[in-house]
Amino acid sequence: MAQWSLEINGKTEKVVAEAATALLWVLREDLQLTGAKYGCGEGSCGACTVLVDGKAERSCLLPISSLKGRKIQTIEGLSSAEKLHPVQKAFLDEEAFQCGFCTPGMILASVALLSKTAKPGREAVRQSLNGHVCRCGSYPRILAAVELAARGAK
Amino acid sequence: MDSKQQYLRDCVERLATRREVVQVLGTGLIVVVVEPLHSWQEEDDVISAKRPVLRIEVAPDGWVVLRTGKVELGQGSRTLLTQCVAEEMGIAPAKVRLVMGDTDTCPDDGGTWASMTTPETVPAVRKAAAEAAGSTLHEPSAWKVLGQSVPAIDGRDIVTGRKKYASDWMPAGLLAAKMIRPPFYKATLESVSAPDGVRVVKDGDLLAVVANTPREAEVQATKIIAMWKPSQLTPPNFKRDSEMPVFVEGARYPAIVKRGDLATGDALAVKRLKSEYAVANIAHVPLEPRASVARWQGKKLTVESGSQAPFLVRNELKQHFGLTERQVRVRAIDPGSGYGGKQRGECELEAARIAKLAGADVRLAWSREEEFERAYFRPAGVIEVASGIDASGKIVSWDFHNFNSGASSLTPPYAIPHLYCGFHKSKSPLREGSYRSLAAVANNFARESHVDELAALAGIDPLEFRLKNLSDARLKEALERGAAKFGWKQSKGGMACNLEKDARLALFVELDVVKTQVKLKRIVCVFDCGAILNPGNLRNQVEGAIVQGMGGALFEKVQHDSERILNAKMSKYRVPRFSDVPPIETILIDRRDVKPAGAGESPITTIAPAIANGIFASTGKRLRSLPLMG
Repeated sequence: MAQWSLEINGKTEKVVAEAATALLWVLREDLQLTGAKYGCGEGSCGACTVLVDGKAERSCLLPISSLKGRKIQTIEGLSSAEKLHPVQKAFLDEEAFQCGFCTPGMILASVALLSKTAKPGREAVRQSLNGHVCRCGSYPRILAAVELAARGAK
Repeated sequence: MDSKQQYLRDCVERLATRREVVQVLGTGLIVVVVEPLHSWQEEDDVISAKRPVLRIEVAPDGWVVLRTGKVELGQGSRTLLTQCVAEEMGIAPAKVRLVMGDTDTCPDDGGTWASMTTPETVPAVRKAAAEAAGSTLHEPSAWKVLGQSVPAIDGRDIVTGRKKYASDWMPAGLLAAKMIRPPFYKATLESVSAPDGVRVVKDGDLLAVVANTPREAEVQATKIIAMWKPSQLTPPNFKRDSEMPVFVEGARYPAIVKRGDLATGDALAVKRLKSEYAVANIAHVPLEPRASVARWQGKKLTVESGSQAPFLVRNELKQHFGLTERQVRVRAIDPGSGYGGKQRGECELEAARIAKLAGADVRLAWSREEEFERAYFRPAGVIEVASGIDASGKIVSWDFHNFNSGASSLTPPYAIPHLYCGFHKSKSPLREGSYRSLAAVANNFARESHVDELAALAGIDPLEFRLKNLSDARLKEALERGAAKFGWKQSKGGMACNLEKDARLALFVELDVVKTQVKLKRIVCVFDCGAILNPGNLRNQVEGAIVQGMGGALFEKVQHDSERILNAKMSKYRVPRFSDVPPIETILIDRRDVKPAGAGESPITTIAPAIANGIFASTGKRLRSLPLMG
């Protein structure tokens, strides 16, 4: 066990864990950042997605030893209490969820996509999010939400 | 009050052990608890007289509190029931607070299953709200809140990641438990050894470790050496091992449906058809694997979990431990959905047993693999249909037998004068249970495939054939409106309909078949469930159910050999993804004068037969087994 210093949502967090511990568990269990969800533990569902240096990554597969000096952003750090991020606002406006368990991962992956490509076509959104499962089947609305965010909020 | 305050307030009011109050207060927010709902936490095994369960209460601060035994799974019950109170009491939805799924404080509204919230709980809540307001029920024609697309009450919490699901509930001071599972589906424990320092909990075949943190428990679990003897999984033979259908008076899903006389019907037939259909076991795969917190205080057991049926789980726990109803409290925390898969208390019972044996409060979280293997599957089954049509293309006889998969939706919507439909119980090597819409997917797949086959046998267009054989005006309207929207005459595709749980459905699909791959191109769906209570949420439910149904229709299937489940992983068990989903056009028919039917389940029942019928239309090949690409 060693102590690790992680930069999460603009703050430096010190945690004690084995080097191989996945970031997901540190977020959820040590830092109470439960917006990152455990869905499969093998990178197949996208529920644990966080941003690392602005890129969407599966936190269930990221050992904390790999995160030195990298900027981690979770859903909790995406917006202030009053003002939603435009992608969050678009998901809310389109009600692009049912149970909502996949939503933090979907939103963060969409944020990463839109920061890279301001106006992705529908097919690009589909491909980019295809590793994310919404078991409730709200896919059509999620596509609409990402397109709405790309156009600028309602 | 923002949602975080709301959440904290909920924590205080709904859970309120002293320790948790301190934890919550420790975040810097001052919460005044005027009157704690419970005092049993202060006691040992002396259970105080329970405070009466109040459906609706106007709190001193002006909030209206609604208590319901139903649970929010993503189907929208929290918002829907809020609308009911707001409508009947003439207040803003923002002034209503729901306490859901707590067996100590909520009325037992039955499990959150079978699309019963709308037909049963909505009227009960509306009535209670109207009584509380001293008014009569608002007429649907004058609805101001019901009938509107009120946004999801917890929407903001969802998009900000603040919504707490069952697996997010990790109060301080609990031990983490990890089950030690056999590498087989079914096995008996023969021996176990563990190094010193590992806290092992063992009771019969229950084998677990407990530790201070979940990560420590994971590590400790790897140190256990357990020997298991596997049981063989014999391939099922549903027909051979079946029982005769038994009619039970008053059953929700009668196992026998009879009309007229089959021999008479058969004598009227000029063409006959007999076909056999099959459906595979599929898994619910709720995105959230389940987790439970169990605490014993003397003889009082409290369990918190993402159960769909907290009262049923309370009974399971009560029976297992020989307790009274008052000694068990189950509190549901919104799960990352369930689809019928979280109705039994597997994880809750394990957590409670471990807590009792360990003498400590325990949290048990299942892995994805456990979620696949240790819950139950949608039943597999075989369905035999023998039918006859007369010279005009009317179905005159219908002999329908479902082996193993279930009795729901046995009754065809068609005006068939002579029919027998029976459900035969059978044996399966896998543990089977409820699934969204129960056997309605299987029965409607067989029925609507068979009707399509009859249309071909009669040489009549499938739409015309259905309309000719239906008498229900609403279902005919759904078909006609869907066909017009789809362009049935010009487009090639597949169709299916159903009259399920009082809802009328029609679905049309256009698709491409390339070798063994089916690519859906476009779906048109018509849904009529009577008065629409929340159109925005209804559309989400209908489209979501269609998407979920695509999985079981095309590729979902639990695979096993003689000892193990072979695809108990998200990477091996394919569920529908963005790339599978075509544009879906949904037409909702709102009938304010018709009592609303539940809609969380029935829209899953038409996609599989529509696809099978579309494959037939496109290739001439009739596929009779789900999954169609399996």
